[in-house]
Parts: sequence; C-alpha cells; structure tokens
Amino acid sequence: MLDLTNFDFDELFGFGDDSNPLMMLIWILPIILFVFYGQRIQLYVTSNDIKKSIGKLNEYKDESKKELINFVKNNFKLKDDPTKRIEMFLDYFSIMPVDMDPNGIVPKVQHFIRSKDDYTRAHVKSLHPEISDFELSKIQTLLEIASTLQLLYKVINHLFLTAKKQNNFPLILPLQMMLPFIMEQAEALKDAIPAFKAGQPVGDGIGPMVVGKMMLNTIKKESSFQTVFSETEFDGRKLYLLKAEGPLSTVGRLGDAVKNLTSDHKFDAIIMIDAALKMEGEESATIARGFGAAIGGIGVERFYIEEAATAKNIPIFSIIVRQTAKEAIGLMTKEIADTADDVRSQVYDVIKENTQEGQSILVIGVGNTMGVPQ
Amino acid sequence: MIFDKKKITTAYTVEQCNSCRKEIKRKFKEGDCLFSETVKCPSCEGILSIEKIFGETIEQ
Repeated sequence: MLDLTNFDFDELFGFGDDSNPLMMLIWILPIILFVFYGQRIQLYVTSNDIKKSIGKLNEYKDESKKELINFVKNNFKLKDDPTKRIEMFLDYFSIMPVDMDPNGIVPKVQHFIRSKDDYTRAHVKSLHPEISDFELSKIQTLLEIASTLQLLYKVINHLFLTAKKQNNFPLILPLQMMLPFIMEQAEALKDAIPAFKAGQPVGDGIGPMVVGKMMLNTIKKESSFQTVFSETEFDGRKLYLLKAEGPLSTVGRLGDAVKNLTSDHKFDAIIMIDAALKMEGEESATIARGFGAAIGGIGVERFYIEEAATAKNIPIFSIIVRQTAKEAIGLMTKEIADTADDVRSQVYDVIKENTQEGQSILVIGVGNTMGVPQ
Repeated sequence: MIFDKKKITTAYTVEQCNSCRKEIKRKFKEGDCLFSETVKCPSCEGILSIEKIFGETIEQ
C-alpha cells in the first residue's frame, strides 16, 4: 500500500538545500512561458468564448432574416422573390449628424430618423402596395430586428478578427467585457420575433395598454403621425389621453403630439406611463412613481416633451413598470399584464393628489403599442 | 450549456365578462386583439372582451 504519512514536501517541490535541478526547471519554465507568452495564451482562451458567442450571433442573424423573408413570402403573394430587396434593406447603414457643435442637433437627429423611417416604410409598401398599415408596421419592426442583429454580428466579428489578426490582447478585453450585455440584447431581439409576427402586445406596451383602456368609448383624433388622443373626464377634471395608434407596431410621435396639444390646450399636469429597465436585484413588474419625462429612445421625443412642458410651466409626473430588456421587447409576461389595473389606479391617485377640480391633465401611454388598440 | 433547460413560451388570452366579471383564460388564437369583444359569457348574458394577452414560460 502507498504510505502517505512520510511525505516530504520540501523534497517534492525542491525547497530544500539539495534542490533538484529538474524540479527547478519545472518551476522556472512556466514562469518564463507566462512572462513571454501569457497574453497570447489568454488571447486563445478568451478567443474560444468569443468565437462561440459570434457563432450564436451569426445564428440569430440568419434566423431573423429567414423569419422576415418567410413572413413576407407567406403573408403577401408577391410576383417577384423579395429576398434580394430585403437583403438590401438589411444592409442599409445610418450616419448620425455631426455633433462637434451640439447646438441644434436634436432637429437634425429627428430629421435623420424620420427620413430613414419614411424611406423604409415607402419601400416596404412598394413590395406590396395593398398592404395594411398593421402588417406594414410588423414588417418594419421585423426589419429593424433583423438589421440590428446583422449590425451586432458585423461589429463584434470585426473587433474579434482585428484583435486576432494583430494578436492584440488589450483589444479583445473590452469585447470580452461587453459581450454578455450584447448577447442579452441579441437574445432578447431574437425572442421578440414571434410576438411581433403574431401581433401580440410586448412588455413595453404596458403604458399604451393602461391608457388604451381609458380611451375606450371616447372619440379618437389624430394628434401627429401614428399618434392619437381623446378627451374624457375624471373627478371633475378634464383628461386628455395620448398614445401611439394601436394596434400598429409603433411608438408614435409623442414629441410632436405634446407640442401640438400644449399649443392648443392649457394643461396643469402631464402624467407619463412607461416601461423602464429594472436594475439587477430589483423585482420585475414592480411599479414606481417619479418626476420627469419617462420615455426612452434616442432622446428626441423626450427633448420636445420637456421643451413644451418647460415653456408652459407644466409639471411632469411619471409612473414606470420595471422590467428586463428581454421582457420589454418580448411577449408581455403575465406579471406585467397583471399590473395594468394597479397602474391605472395609481394614475388616478396621482391626478387626485396633484391637481384640483376643473383642471386639465395630459396622460400619455409611452411605448410600442403593438396589439394594443384604444 | 448542456444543463440548460429548454424554455417554451405559450401565449394566453384572458377574457372578462362585462357583466359578471368572470375571467376565462385560454390559449391565444390568431386574430385575438386586446379590448375586442369576443363571445357571450357562458354564465350570464354579458359579453366577454379580451382583457389581457400574455406569455407564460415553462422550462422543459
């Protein structure tokens, strides 16, 4: 039997005076190896993880493109194969306005985004001129998802190949750090496809869902492109309800709508209801109240809402429903859908607490209104 | 990962009677749209309208 009681560690590791030259070599060789080739070894190990993620991104990109092409082919009997045109749309790139002089950049960004949206809408419509606005908005969203996944794949692959080509380990480090967040976004986008194809409400639609129900049985008027409002009364106050036009897959043009409405009416408060990204550790589908314009996106709509509110000295209150990025763009979860009644009663609470009878309040449901009519 | 469980999300529609407030949960059907009226309530003379559409995820 092996006797483990008389083990001499000094001898084993060569600590003693009578050091074994072979053992010393075993110690020194790896040190030399790691000093000179450490970064390269680390590069190879990290590369394998990144390569796996890039493989997944490539899969998501191909899958989203296939889903989009099949959706167009199956729903609209087109004479010509739309594949080439769809591929061309996916390759469109965007150049944001120069921001060396930030003065007046918001109208420029707005113009750029709207031109891009209008162009895409017109060209998708040209595929099948009889297409309904609902189906058109679905295709536009699917196109947006597929092109975002394509862009993510291209950028990550470019950074990875550049680092590999130059054996540049520091270049791969930021990529390794950012990749889990990027993969989370990519998975969320890929998982959102079935909901948008089926016209189901997404987590981001909680604001429009709350306001949409309040707008039922009222007369709806257009306040800006793909954005509607209606008037109703609550507890002696006049409520103006505003949301993107459902059930289209759109966020509307709330900035323009608020600008138009505030120039025509006098408001004493603005209440915005939106989905907000939850922090790690926070529970999903929890409601919170706050101040300021609760609206995401690039910032253009928020800028115009804040500008209009500031010019007329109107306080902005907001109610948010916390959720993850995946929940926000995917099919609405039961927990989020269950908050709708609670959020609605909180809207009424905010109105009662902060306004008086005879005053006017603008209530805005912010978010993608896919599958949420009014 | 090899130990990751496959997640399947199923869409459901919840209808509520405008009279007796009874709720009926069923699988989502194509054409279901929030707030739209669907059929007569099986327990009273009211009309069912779609109150919620959501997804539930199970791990397999």
